[in-house]
This record gives sequence, C-alpha cells and structure tokens, in this order.
Amino acid sequence: MRKTVQEINEKIKRGEAVVLTAEEMVELVKSKGPEAAVREVDVVTTGTFGAMCSTGAFLNFGHADPPIKLGGGEVYLNDVPAYTGLAAVDVYVGSTSISRTKGLEYGGGHVLEDLVSGKEIELIGKGYGTDCYPRREIRTTFTIHDLNQAILCCPRTCYQRYNAATNSRDETLYTYMGMLLPNYGNVTFSWAGVLSPLSRDPEYRTIGIGTRIFLGGAQGYVISEGTQHDPERGMGTLAVAGDMKKMNSRYIRGCTIPRYGTSLYLGIGIPIPVLDEGIAMTAGRDESQLKTNILDYGVPSRERPVVREVTCAELRSGKVELAGKEVPVSPLSSFAMAREISETLKRWIEKGEFLLSEPVEPLSRERTLKPMRMVERLVRVKDLMTKRLITIGPDESLEAAATLIKQHNIDHLPVVEKDRLVGIVTSWDLAVSLGTGKKRVSEIMTRKVITANEEEPVDVVVRRLEQHKISGVPVVDGEGRLRGILTTDDISKFAVRR
Amino acid sequence: MRKILLRYSPEKSSEPILASVIKDTGVLLNVLQAKVNSRGGEIIVAVEDDERVPEIIRTFQSRGVDAEELKLTTVLNRDACMDCGACLSLCPTKALHFNPEYRLELDKEKCVYCKLCIEACPVRALSILSLE
Repeated sequence: MRKTVQEINEKIKRGEAVVLTAEEMVELVKSKGPEAAVREVDVVTTGTFGAMCSTGAFLNFGHADPPIKLGGGEVYLNDVPAYTGLAAVDVYVGSTSISRTKGLEYGGGHVLEDLVSGKEIELIGKGYGTDCYPRREIRTTFTIHDLNQAILCCPRTCYQRYNAATNSRDETLYTYMGMLLPNYGNVTFSWAGVLSPLSRDPEYRTIGIGTRIFLGGAQGYVISEGTQHDPERGMGTLAVAGDMKKMNSRYIRGCTIPRYGTSLYLGIGIPIPVLDEGIAMTAGRDESQLKTNILDYGVPSRERPVVREVTCAELRSGKVELAGKEVPVSPLSSFAMAREISETLKRWIEKGEFLLSEPVEPLSRERTLKPMRMVERLVRVKDLMTKRLITIGPDESLEAAATLIKQHNIDHLPVVEKDRLVGIVTSWDLAVSLGTGKKRVSEIMTRKVITANEEEPVDVVVRRLEQHKISGVPVVDGEGRLRGILTTDDISKFAVRR
Repeated sequence: MRKILLRYSPEKSSEPILASVIKDTGVLLNVLQAKVNSRGGEIIVAVEDDERVPEIIRTFQSRGVDAEELKLTTVLNRDACMDCGACLSLCPTKALHFNPEYRLELDKEKCVYCKLCIEACPVRALSILSLE
C-alpha cells in the first residue's frame, strides 16, 4: 500500500488522520508488523529536546533617531556580545556567546530564552558614525514585541545519532558531553532515540529542505542539510529556522554546560508521513536496533578511541557495562520533553492545525564529514622538550639535589630509580624543606607526578600545566621511562621564536 | 529521618567505633556515604528514630569522633527542571532518579550533599539550603 502526502493532508483537514507518536509506532509495528502499520497509521510524530549549541537568532531592531549603524560596530544584549557583521540594525546572537560580566552563568542561550519569555533585554550599541548614520552610541531596552523580526536559526540539529561519552583519565573532565567522572565513572549521551526525527527516516525520504516542523513551540522549517551532515556514517543533521515571535519559552531554554560554556536547549519535532511499508518499518524500529559508540573523551584528539558499541536501549536503561563494571548513564537530552513535543505535534495534526509538507529538495545522501585543513605543522612535546637529562635517585641527599639544581640552573629535578620515573623535586620543594630535618630526596619528592608523552600536542600539555598550577612536566614513554622534560621556559622560548 | 556527619581523626579511623555505637545504643545507623582511610575521614549516617539523634551524637563524641547533625536540604525546582538527566550519573546514592515517565525526582533522604549535581545542572534547578 502506498499513500501520498496530499492524501494524508486531505485526511488531516477532514479530521480523520491517524497520528501516532514514534513510541506508539514502535509498539504497533512490534505487534502488527509494518504492513498493517501503513494501513492503520498516516503520520508518526517525533521530538527531540537537547543542547543545540549552533542555535542563534537574527534580530532586527528598526532605526533609532538619529540613526546608528550597528553593522560593523559592537552590540551587547544583557552584556552578551552579539555579532554585528550585518546591515545597520540587524544583529545575530548565538547561544554560546558569553556574558562579559557573568561569564558562563549567562550567555546567548539565556538571552534567547529571555526574549521568547517576553522579558526586557538591555541593548548597548556602538557604531563608528557615517553621513547617513551619524549616531555613535545607543543604550536602550526592548522586548521581542519591539523587534521587527526575530528569526531563530539553527544550522546543525537533530543528529540522526550521536556518540556517547566516557572518560578514562583519573580526573573529572568538563566537556560538551557534560561532567565525565574519572576512571570510566559515568557515561553520557545526547540522543532522543526512537523519538529522534532522522532515526525514523534514515534514508531522508520524507524529511528534506522545506519540511514544516515543530520548532520551539511554533511552526518552523528545515532550510538545508545541517552542517557536519554525515549521511555516510549515519549521522545526518538538519538546519532549521523559524519565527521566534511565535515560540514558547518552555521549548527554548538557555543553559550552562559546567566549565564548558553556554548553550540552548531547543525543542524540535518532525512529522513523518507513513507513505509505505519501508517508512513504516524504519519509523517502527525500537531502541535495541539503534546503535552508537561510547568514545573516550579522556583522549584529547579528534580521533577519540571507541570504548565499545552500545544500543540506545542500553543507554536509556540508565546503566551500561564498561570493562565488567556497571556504569551509571546520564542522558543529556530530555526524553520527557521529547515525548511531550511528539505528543503536542500529534495533537496539532489531529486538530488540523498542522499540515504536512513535501520536501522542495531532498537532503544529500552522499556526503561525509571532513576534518579541518591544517596548514601548520602541529608542535608536539618532543619538538620542545629538553632531552639532556639531569636526574637524581630517591636515596640521595637534599644537598646533592640542591647542587644539581644550582649547577644546571634548573627548577625541576626528576627522581629516577632503575630507569623509571618515581618522583620529582623542585627548587620550591627544597626551599620549604629547610629546617624540617629531612635529609633524603625520597622524603620531600612529589610521588604522584603529572607527566606528558612525547607525541602529545604542546597545547594539550600547556592546559595540563595550567590546571595543575605547575611549571614543568617530565616526559615519559609508555613504560614510565624518562625521555625528557618540558617546562614553561621551553614553551615561552618557542613562543618568542614563533 | 535525620542525618549525622561523623569526622574521624587519623587515630580514631582504625577503631570499630561505628559498630560499637550501634551495639551499645541499639540504634540502627544506615551508612549513606563513607570516605575513611588511615588518615581519617568522614561518614554520613542516617538515623530513623529522630528522638535518638542527640544520644547518638553524644555517644560518638564521648568516643572521640566529631559528630554533628546535618541540617541541610537539597531542593529540586520542578519549574526550572527540564528532565535532561545530566545529574543522574553523578549522584552517588541515586537520590536523583527518573520516574517511569522519565521525569526527574529527588529522594531527599538519600542525598549526601556531595553537590556534584548542583554544578552539573544546566539550568540551576538544584540547590542545597541550610535548615538553620
């Protein structure tokens, strides 16, 4: 059996269309099979509600008197910088832009939520003054009702699937995938699973450019394939836009991802017309058939290692097994809100308030994600580290350590025993040991040494130095053998050369 | 149910004080969290019978363990919460959990005030308030 979008729209107008949420569709297909599902169901509604960092909005303020050219100038909305490289009184405010005074507690995402809630926003603008726009400064307040247009735009959303995250390191990581506890202490994922729009239509047969969608509580549209659209790896994305003035702040929530940045939780729902058995089948797949990988975010590289494959069902259960251990899972996208959106969209369609649309153009099915082109050679630890090794043994005297530090004009003295790094002594450690009666290096050395590996990018190690408030790291190989030492001196000498 | 924070010095960490207090008072103490090693540490215990709390505190103190009632409460602001679940895997006692509808719930009795969820919540829906 085959149906067309027009036929389904006629049924919607007559109030006769049968609409199921994706969760209900999964149950139906499980019990009756896809063939019966096509006969019985016209539309499947989906929903997703997660942090969508690429979200922002184009705002048009209208002209001041005397007029000001904000374009090319500076604009702050509640002290959050907006992008002004547009015409005179248009700006773009993105969800990850950060308040100049409140830092990560308030950002562009919060500005967007406050706008949709109807709150007053403070505008501070600076222009450079032209013959037609003589004014140079403006300070005012406005609400969304004062704007000519507020167009919400999200160039990357609705990931068909996304990897889950964990952390092999022995320290907590603060990532865009949330707080990752040490030693595989937890797993996070951000995926609406059965409710995820593109997972229901993985061949992009019904979702395409021009598709009418639920966006932030109003109607919006798919405007393009999303950025980083990666259909070849089953990670398609969508770009969407809509009229923010009609949106509802329940579905637009500014947020702070701890020690990472600000963002915006955005609610999106897409209807899938059940045109034939193929669509009924994919729309009815349950979460045990949806798979992704758990990646180790402890490795600060683009190519993060896969820890294991996992089904969405396991992730949804709240715990997964990693290396024989049961690990708790945090979803980061709200399943309850995704469900609410799929139910709201279902009601809209049942009441005839929302009609389906056919794509104007299909989404690309042959594209893969390319990495950034890098023209500069990456500077690695081995390029800058000092290879001439001055070391000391743990049983040697503090006088011997002091002599070495003075002789070689160094601050860090790695402590080595049988070829292995066992500690580190700094000139500071020696200074504070004065008068304590301690005699041996082993009594004052730091045993838990922060180290680096020769192949690591220097930037990664610089961040480690900052985090631990130290000025140097011994460089060791996989077996713990000392290969060199990298200090802030080595790094600043290189920075000056560059 | 009330909660008591016990602080052990290094000297006391090797003595079976918790067991002896339970044995001598006959009050069952539910260990919510324990971080003790040879350098001392902290244990949080829950007491079912509110009336026995002062006695329990006195007993621990007489045996050299610093004990005080935890007069704190964790608050989940349901109006702000979006049920994202970012806090779930950080909660050491599953005080924060989903109900069958995937809406977040807080079981205050299980909370040990580790504060991980406070920082993790993207919309600041969780807080700890002092009851004093």
